[in-house]
Amino acid sequence: MKKIFSILSIAILFVFFSACSDDEVGSSGSTLVLEFDNVVGTSNLVLNTTDQPYTNDHEEAFNVTWLTYYVSNIKLKREDGTIYEDAVKSDGSAGYYLIDEADVESREITLKNIPAGNYTEVTFTIGVDASQVDQGAQTGALDPAKGLFWTWNSGYIFMAIQGTSPACTEEGNEFAYHVGGYKEDPENDNLINNIKTFTLSFKGDSAPVKASHEPQVHIIFDVLKFFKGTGANISFASNAQRHTPKACEDIAGNIEGAFVVDHIHAD
Amino acid sequence: MRFTTVLTLILLVSGCTDDVEPVKNSYAFEMPANFPAPVYTFGNNPVSRAGAELGQMLFYDPVLSLDSSIACANCHQQAVAFSDPVHRFSRGVDDAVGFRNAPAIQNMAFQNNFFWDGGVKHLDFVPINAVTSKIEMAETLDQVVQKLKRSKFYPEKFRSAFQEDQITSQQMLYALSQFMNLMVSANSKYDQYVRKETDLTKEETEGLEIFEAHCRTCHATDLFTDDSFRNNGLDAGFEKDAGRERITEFSGDRGKFKVPSLRNVDLTSPYMHDGRFNTLQQVLDHYSNMVKDSETLDPLLKQGESLGIVLSAEEKVKLIAFLKTLSDETFTHDKRFANPFIK
Ligand code: HEC
Ligand code: HEC
Repeated sequence: MKKIFSILSIAILFVFFSACSDDEVGSSGSTLVLEFDNVVGTSNLVLNTTDQPYTNDHEEAFNVTWLTYYVSNIKLKREDGTIYEDAVKSDGSAGYYLIDEADVESREITLKNIPAGNYTEVTFTIGVDASQVDQGAQTGALDPAKGLFWTWNSGYIFMAIQGTSPACTEEGNEFAYHVGGYKEDPENDNLINNIKTFTLSFKGDSAPVKASHEPQVHIIFDVLKFFKGTGANISFASNAQRHTPKACEDIAGNIEGAFVVDHIHAD
Repeated sequence: MRFTTVLTLILLVSGCTDDVEPVKNSYAFEMPANFPAPVYTFGNNPVSRAGAELGQMLFYDPVLSLDSSIACANCHQQAVAFSDPVHRFSRGVDDAVGFRNAPAIQNMAFQNNFFWDGGVKHLDFVPINAVTSKIEMAETLDQVVQKLKRSKFYPEKFRSAFQEDQITSQQMLYALSQFMNLMVSANSKYDQYVRKETDLTKEETEGLEIFEAHCRTCHATDLFTDDSFRNNGLDAGFEKDAGRERITEFSGDRGKFKVPSLRNVDLTSPYMHDGRFNTLQQVLDHYSNMVKDSETLDPLLKQGESLGIVLSAEEKVKLIAFLKTLSDETFTHDKRFANPFIK
């Protein structure tokens, strides 16, 4: 009996060791951090202020009580043109990140084991695409218990912003823009797909990933640009509660323009 | 979609050949020969005995509702193919769910669209709506998970179903899907006839012929639905329920509803999305005399000047005789689907 045990434990140890050394071979690269910094024009975004310190393009004052969005399918491009893709798991346990202004830790995405090199641009998706939703129940950042799941028209809310404005005629002067809608159907081109995938260049700069370096890419999301962009110039005075794919189609057109890479911390 | 199906089939097939022991447990998902291929993502969530039995408990346990008062089985009863015999509109749940009649739950693994308007595209997500009963859920799904974690027996059941030490919403949804995927109804008299195990009576055979001629385009395949959304002329205006338009936000879809399967249809009264008809006779009278015109009325029900389907009284009798051959006693009495809390 004892013998069997020791053989077993040796075998188990062996498995452990080989797993470890495997890891080391794979981790020749290093780490890169994507930091999401949410701002309102030139001010830093502060949630739940008692006053309404911000103003949109229509001179309507507002505050923000909730801002959250899904970032996924991250790709990094190196100087030499090679692309690193952050792995996505079909059950949502990897590759999907929920950025929540109220949760400081969520605002940094740490990508590990990236091949060394100088990176010059990042591509990502805001939202949760059909290939993922069609896989069924999800976990991790995509756990529907996180409250960003539309039950009656199933799918995720990609980006949600809520707040108040005196200009808003809804109950409690509350506005809410919940951008979602991922469905595509070759037989019905009326389904709205608000998935946005875009590339942000580091504008001549580069993020050097190497053993002793942990570069941070500082990405800014500007709430004012989300309210005013190529898609729409939002006034809180009308239609300020939007909870369907079509209702948010125009404002979703502003998403790409609201993100920019501001600067890179080399280490 | 076809790709996933093929994948699933490959997985299913390889799953079988990989097994050391031959699969002889009745908890394996079975694919009836006369059905189209299943579409459920079995690769992510294969049916296991422990998982399906857990799903069965959850289905019959009011713990899933906000105030622990209602179970899935309140609105979905086995004796009537898991439809709701009592309430024209389902009771106890407000908003989105409250204005429709609860449909049967059967052959879910073969279905692409759920709910009368197809708002849900994957079986796993269906229960979330019932559990939360709000148009947009707050943290209530989380609360259910917490309740399950505190329970005396669920943690053990989850562990044996998923071999993990924590309970997640995903596991809960997976277990319910495993249970519902097992709910295959394919042993009606009609199926036995298709398998050449029995004959239909003369009346039933003639009813089948009438069905093939007038109903089969929409109630297609041996699932008796083409999985599409259509307006079968119940109303001329759709203020009460816009149907598919709620999801697509496209006026061309106003008043269209999912073509329901007609399996076990003799048991699933009341009929239509709002449960407006109590008998099959009324349904057929609708198709022959009461079809209302509107912009989205299905062209099949609008031939030239006349609306609806021409059916004589005699043809209706035959049609009903045929529709009754779709009842599946094996299904409504299957112990695997019964209330596990009543022994
Ligand atoms: C209060 C009554 C009620 C309860 C409780 C309830 N349902 Fe339902 N169910 C309905 C109604 C009504 C619909 C149709 C909704 C619609 O089409 O908008 C439905 C639809 C469904 C469907 C889709 C069937 C199809 O063909 O589209 C499934 C599957 C389902 N329910 C499973 C469940 C499960 C699992 C539970 C428990 C977690 C549950 N239901 C609890 C009333 C209920
Ligand atoms: C144009 C497509 C179409 C044709 C043709 C058609 N149906 Fe339907 N049928 C539907 C749709 C759509 C519904 C659901 C409508 C709703 O609830 O709003 C339905 C509902 C039903 C129901 C109610 C089922 C339930 O569970 O509530 C029955 C029974 C039925 N049809 C029988 C028939 C028969 C019998 C025929 C042939 C005489 C027929 N249908 C022809 C589209 C069609």
